[in-house]
Amino acid sequence: MAAISPQPTFDGDILSAPLIHTDRNLLACIEPDYKPFIPGNSLRRMSRVLKMGLAAALKCTADSGLDTPGPIITGTGKGSLQDTEKFIKEIVEYKETALNPTPFIQSTYNSVNGLIALQQKCTAYNNTFVHRGFSFENALLDSIMLIQDGEPHTLTGAFEEITTEHFYIKSRIGFWKNESINSADLCQHLSPGSIAGEGATFFTLTGTPSAHSYAAISGFRMLYKPTKEKLNAALKAMSIQPDLIISGRNGDSNYEHFYKELDSCYPGIPQLGFKHLCGEYDTASAFGLWLAAQIIKTQQIAEQWFPQQQPLTTPVNSILFYNHFYGEQHVMLLLERV
Amino acid sequence: MAERVFITGIGMITAIGDNVAGNLRNLKAQQSGLGYSQYVDTIHKNVLPVAEVKHPSESLFALAGIPEKEGFTRTTLLGLAAMREALKDAGITDVQSAPTGFINASTVGGMCDTEKLYFDIIDPEKTGSFLQYIDTLDCADCTQRIADIVGFNEHIATISTACSSSANALMFGARMIKQGMLPRVVCGGTEALTRFTLNGFNSLKNVDKQFCRPFDQQRTGLNLGEGAAYLVLESESFAKANGSRILAELSGYCNTNEAFHPTSPSPDGDGAYEAMKAALAMSGRSLEEVSYINVHGTATLNNDISEGKALERLFGDKVPLFSSTKPFTGHTLAAAGAIEAIYAILAIQHGMIFPNLHFTERMEELNISPVTELIADYPVKNVISNSFGFGGNNASLVISKYEG
Amino acid sequence: MEELKKKLKEQIIEALNLQDTKPEDIDDNAPLFGEGLGLDSIDSLELMVLLERQYHIKVEDPREGRKILQSVESMAEFIQSKQPA
Repeated sequence: MAAISPQPTFDGDILSAPLIHTDRNLLACIEPDYKPFIPGNSLRRMSRVLKMGLAAALKCTADSGLDTPGPIITGTGKGSLQDTEKFIKEIVEYKETALNPTPFIQSTYNSVNGLIALQQKCTAYNNTFVHRGFSFENALLDSIMLIQDGEPHTLTGAFEEITTEHFYIKSRIGFWKNESINSADLCQHLSPGSIAGEGATFFTLTGTPSAHSYAAISGFRMLYKPTKEKLNAALKAMSIQPDLIISGRNGDSNYEHFYKELDSCYPGIPQLGFKHLCGEYDTASAFGLWLAAQIIKTQQIAEQWFPQQQPLTTPVNSILFYNHFYGEQHVMLLLERV
Repeated sequence: MAERVFITGIGMITAIGDNVAGNLRNLKAQQSGLGYSQYVDTIHKNVLPVAEVKHPSESLFALAGIPEKEGFTRTTLLGLAAMREALKDAGITDVQSAPTGFINASTVGGMCDTEKLYFDIIDPEKTGSFLQYIDTLDCADCTQRIADIVGFNEHIATISTACSSSANALMFGARMIKQGMLPRVVCGGTEALTRFTLNGFNSLKNVDKQFCRPFDQQRTGLNLGEGAAYLVLESESFAKANGSRILAELSGYCNTNEAFHPTSPSPDGDGAYEAMKAALAMSGRSLEEVSYINVHGTATLNNDISEGKALERLFGDKVPLFSSTKPFTGHTLAAAGAIEAIYAILAIQHGMIFPNLHFTERMEELNISPVTELIADYPVKNVISNSFGFGGNNASLVISKYEG
Repeated sequence: MEELKKKLKEQIIEALNLQDTKPEDIDDNAPLFGEGLGLDSIDSLELMVLLERQYHIKVEDPREGRKILQSVESMAEFIQSKQPA
């Protein structure tokens, strides 16, 4: 696994990492030094989310101990916003003449996948899903299907960026809170809207467990615009009694009722939110899954990230993960200890 | 043994027709859809030919079967029009009558409409009904609007792998059926012309100012097109129990990445070769059993060399009849794979090979040339349909005649 | 001509974001593509954009572009040939 996020998740010890917070309602990624991962001649042309996606993918492959990534499957809701915005503007600025092709090429949603394949010389299956809160989820489903068909492993991930301009655009339709809040208090601060975020997260998925394995995915369900009854039934069917719940609670009062449904299905189970760490974005589930896998592997919860949480006294053998994106795309996963 | 996957309904809209029958009529008449844009606001409108659907967005609402309202992009409307026909063709009145997935494909989502409003959207001084379009830029918008109107509530997804997007949508749907996850999945893609993509391809200097000439020595690039196409896929057991009319079988498919260059294929067509070879192996058909290849054939300098080399490598001196139908429809990007899959079915159903228009001179790099006139009364049993794209994303499908 | 070549080198470095390269590192006659600076076909398109934006010279045919963009020397010669005398 590898994650570039607004927290120091890419390098160093996560358990001692500080909690990065903001009062701008926008959590931006801590970008690593890309030079160890990407040759300078490639780096010079690449825009921000391409670098984040490629570096996270390469580090993930290194972390897995495997030589080649195998099939590469990703999800992104918006792709490279920076390039899309740039090309839209240059078309107007240069009156449709003398346009640089680079922002157009990089705005293509599958450009990160192409770069990963190119840099690793990987000619295997390659696919990119672009569907808001079902982008990473469909990539995960595709990967699981490949593994069930006999692929030994896949490289599966998600990447997303937020730009100042896109932050403004989404503010016009109520995505973010009107009032500035301390991001550390996000899950407790209930009002319309959430705070923006971004990240690049990759996983190596295998069909058989190994010493490298973080966790096993033993349950997975996606629901599109479910009724209350359908959501309730699906949540209950996920697990009898998970040891821990990780939820996408994001302080948005418009959609809090879905998380209340979760609470009602699993009363008394300790629950952690993760959006105060990464913000809200189309593929935030990938970060949530990364966090869940970290916890189940290390059997520890980073105290500074979750100051309200009591230290664990019993083993975490299973984690139920639930997230939704603005009430439309819902995902639930069950993780088990290997 | 995994289930076979059958195609039981098709629907489409392109520059050469508002439905499958209209497309077939113009394919037979050898009538190209290329011309000059009526609806895209661009300085290139009288210079760069495009294959545009011959309706303003306002009149697409009727074809889409919905009242006119804000927030519906041309991408969504084209998609809905094709979707309505595909469902009707498959005899589906209620998509919830059986668990049915929807796998869509798009390369730039609602860019066709948002590019006109973008500067208002980012201007705090401006407000108005254009804000209905604010969240229509991403690729999920068209998928969800189509899903919500038609009633898909099982599995939905949107794929974007450039020019191979809808071929990958068909593949993903077929795999879900083979895994036993769903008995029925509707797959395809929708693409509207935009100033954004037209300028994008023009900045790569691979748009032809003349009507595109795939596999011709004098070709200088592609022409863009727009359209949408959907195919209803059903598992064998569901199709039989349901009494579905089977149009063809999706017997093989393969997705590979070339890992060669961000926008160019390798000169020897390694990715194209691998994709065709593996798709054919999956279908269980031999090289000799391939009747026709609907090539990607964009008419860019690089694609046609690379794809042509791949054909020669795979088939040796026995390359089957092949043609690019892009001179009819333009390059419809995310919709191309699904549109051409339907053309493959039409070739099988009607025993025809559609011509590669505008071809006059064989490429110096190749020993093969495409079919240039309509061939009728020709038995077509297995068709390879190729879709290759940016980022090295290659996809080949094998579509076979249903013979029980 | 020397002045033009110096300016051109600066413009190439900026346009292509060649961070670790200085104008004096680029030999007038060294090939820009492949072996030399290691540029590729996308860079060649960007250099044609540079010619159009900075010198108002439009190169239509990519094959012609390849000849013009061989080296800084060939680019400068081409620009000079297009400038009004």
